[in-house]
Amino acid sequence: MVAQPKQAAPAPTSEYVLEAKNITVRFPIEHGADVVAVRNFNLQVKPGEFVGLMGQPSCGKSTAAMAMLGLVRPPGVIDSGVVNFMGRNLLTMMEDDVRELRGRDIGMIVQNPRYSLHPMLRVGDQIANVYRAHNQVTKGEAWKHAIDMLRMVGINDPERRVKAYAHELSSGMAQRVLIAIALSSRPRLLIADEPTSGLDVTIQAQFLDQMWDACRQTKSAVLLVSQNLGIMANYCDRILIMNEGTLVEEADVYSFFKAPKHEYSRSILRLQRAAIESGGADAAHIDEKAAPLIEVKDLSKLFPIRHSKSKVHAAENINFFIRPGETLGLVGESGSGKTTVGRCVLRLIEPTGGEILFRNRQANQVERVTDYSTNEMRRKRAKLQIVFQDPLDSLDPRWTVDRVLREPLDLHTDMTNEQKKARVIELMKLVGLEGAHYYALPREMSAGRQQRVSIARAIALNPDFIVLDEPTSALTPETTAEIIRLLMDLSAKLGIAYLFISHDLTTVKFICHRVAVMYLGQMVEIGSKDQVFNSPRHPYARALLSAYLFPSTDNRRVDRTVRETLKGEIPSPVTENLPKGCYLYGRCTSQVDRCKSAPQQLTQLSDGRWVRCWRVAQGEI
Amino acid sequence: MTAENPQTRHTPTPEDLDQHIQPHMVIEGIPTKRHTIDIVRKFKEEGLFRFGCLVIMTTMGLAIFGWLDHYDIYRLWPFDPNRATGNVSVEPPGFLEIPGLLWKTVILGHEPPHWFGTDNAGLDVFSRTLAAPRTDMTIAIVAAFLSMFIGTAFGLVAGFYRNALTEFLMRISDLLQAFPVFITAMILVALSGRNEFNIILALALVYTPIFIRLTRAEVMGQAVRGYVESARAVGNPQWRVAFGHVLPNSLVPSLVQISTTVGFAILLTSGLSFVGAGVRPPTPEWGLMIALGADHIILGEWWGSIFPGVAIALTVFGFAAVGHGLEEDYR
Repeated sequence: MVAQPKQAAPAPTSEYVLEAKNITVRFPIEHGADVVAVRNFNLQVKPGEFVGLMGQPSCGKSTAAMAMLGLVRPPGVIDSGVVNFMGRNLLTMMEDDVRELRGRDIGMIVQNPRYSLHPMLRVGDQIANVYRAHNQVTKGEAWKHAIDMLRMVGINDPERRVKAYAHELSSGMAQRVLIAIALSSRPRLLIADEPTSGLDVTIQAQFLDQMWDACRQTKSAVLLVSQNLGIMANYCDRILIMNEGTLVEEADVYSFFKAPKHEYSRSILRLQRAAIESGGADAAHIDEKAAPLIEVKDLSKLFPIRHSKSKVHAAENINFFIRPGETLGLVGESGSGKTTVGRCVLRLIEPTGGEILFRNRQANQVERVTDYSTNEMRRKRAKLQIVFQDPLDSLDPRWTVDRVLREPLDLHTDMTNEQKKARVIELMKLVGLEGAHYYALPREMSAGRQQRVSIARAIALNPDFIVLDEPTSALTPETTAEIIRLLMDLSAKLGIAYLFISHDLTTVKFICHRVAVMYLGQMVEIGSKDQVFNSPRHPYARALLSAYLFPSTDNRRVDRTVRETLKGEIPSPVTENLPKGCYLYGRCTSQVDRCKSAPQQLTQLSDGRWVRCWRVAQGEI
Repeated sequence: MTAENPQTRHTPTPEDLDQHIQPHMVIEGIPTKRHTIDIVRKFKEEGLFRFGCLVIMTTMGLAIFGWLDHYDIYRLWPFDPNRATGNVSVEPPGFLEIPGLLWKTVILGHEPPHWFGTDNAGLDVFSRTLAAPRTDMTIAIVAAFLSMFIGTAFGLVAGFYRNALTEFLMRISDLLQAFPVFITAMILVALSGRNEFNIILALALVYTPIFIRLTRAEVMGQAVRGYVESARAVGNPQWRVAFGHVLPNSLVPSLVQISTTVGFAILLTSGLSFVGAGVRPPTPEWGLMIALGADHIILGEWWGSIFPGVAIALTVFGFAAVGHGLEEDYR
């Protein structure tokens, strides 16, 4: 970094890099009252500090962050307030002067990295352009600087990547290029607005680690806008909570997570609170020796690829069982095949191989789901149900709640109309819906209520088993807590077994009795919740757990001496891409030569869990 | 908007519900179903859409009166559209004469004049122009709805079951669409005989591929939606998923298209009569009237063709305007 800045930055006149007072942002609405998106917003950021700004979607946090740059989306206006950036008021400065500051002294990282990168320019040029706009350097120097920056944000082989275009990068890599652009002229302040939305946990951890390290190196302060409690707890020094345009709480991270003061802050921490206090799902009502309700043996699913002989290996040799009333969590990153497994168990997609056994409690016999004829399968769906991820999409847009809930009764029972109506109302009450929603259409209800309707429909016929396919990923943290609570109540009351598919480990930790970890279509570890969460053995499970940011300040990721992580990214699960030996080979930190060629077997350890790693089985790691 | 508006709906407490669930059900607190009609608002706000609706209502009304006249129940217009009056090639009254004539006929009860003149056979153009929708509209509407029914049915099957058979069906539909609509319809009518029934069939056939395409595209989009899988997961047989869930959600584009199709079917019906492949004279029909009057324009008798021509133009435009308005809403 040989460059000289065009002008020396003025000496800071206060102890803060950024100080905002009484910011109010108003959006004028035609034919209506104006919307005040941000009201009397105050913020101070010290040099080198990580400040988190969090709140629900559309609570004004992004608008507030933009206002820190003197920017606002049209037709909004910044009504009042002062933004002091190193002693100068951004809001009264000339536009040219502000533009000088943005990019040089204030960096910005926004959501959705792919849309933020120029599609027609090499990433090196994009970094160099920003650098040259604010520093007097030659093209060659700027290019060299771009390579340095890419290396700093942890991109392998920066000499080659610097010539890449945006579409050649994965989203994790694109996000890191953005941070390289933002940090290229060593800004005093970096504003990051949901920088990791849409990234997988291991990639998210890689990225945030890099951002943390890079900012510590350049001594930049960071304003991190997010709704993810885990990121806040693990990376921020101070937290600001926003609700409906106003700041409701400001506290340092430790005291916030220990004892939030404001009512709203408490409500968003409720799930975590509850998990700590009650210890989550209680295994007492499950009979450890009971015969399995569902047993999956050697299940595999290959999707053919058009005009190609190779196939997508979505699931391979999956083995697990679920006891009556038990909840098995299925975790893994996107593309690990967990959704495919859930669909295959219910034969919503036909498995390529393997068998699924279902213990029919009425007839007291074990039946093979894979042998059912189409009609038999249709009838068995009364007992084997599923709740989908996107509640709005999974409800017929033209059907009212009563019709949605009546459908399973129409199909599988011969109740009279009166009885059906009574049952529909009973179901609505069971999931906490009010009678006023009886004739509501899905789009007229909130996402939480839509998901309640889906759940009510799933339990309409007293099923024995429900696949929950990421039922809370489309919901806000508050609603998630309510839905999880509801699911646990239903399981306890009705004795339903769940296969809970999720990438949100907080909810998994809360609701599940046993947990299975999937990677690239294989199960790498199955064990009880305590075994997997407290002492994972498989290297992938260890990395996943370590990368997952739990919303708690004990053992923060930035404070750990060793941050366990995986190199690179998940390969695509196509036949020729898959490693011959262990699927984790190349990313694993404890790999040896034998891992490259020896396929792994799921082996049971002495404590009862199953792990797919020969080194773990032999006690080497 | 949202369901929990306290003014319009009473929200029952769980205790309320308890009472209802138990023995015999009297359910209060559950709101009555409501219907929202967007079309009313659209009619009030959009001039073009309003104009189109008025045109549709007028032509439909005339079609009904046309049939009443056909069965000698009631005649709205002054002369029998199928009987020569004896006054050959009468010129329509000039603009300035109209108020006086109106006074005489409406108030004083005189014999009505030939408002649009008479053609060279002595048929009253005004009566025939108003009586024509009974032929044109009937053919066009029946044909358009027939093609919609056939088209959506095939489109649903082709979009829902993607296999060699449905692919073959789509190729046939492509083939049909590749021929010019007018030529195809003309050949079909010429081969099968000039009567209303055959014209309807020919029109229905040429417009079916549009509906197949539209429905199939929509069905393919809907079939990957979550609610379809959800319907399957709850235990619906395949046909119930297709007809109960996918079809109702795939109908909108076809319903929007139907208005435009009716308009063009009117144009096609008239066109066929104009070239002599449509209904037989002297049936009152716009295309036929234009054809009969066209020979005499050169003699200065412009009225025989102009009035039915304007009628066709207004009608097609009206239907297209409604179709356009609905399409805008749908997008």
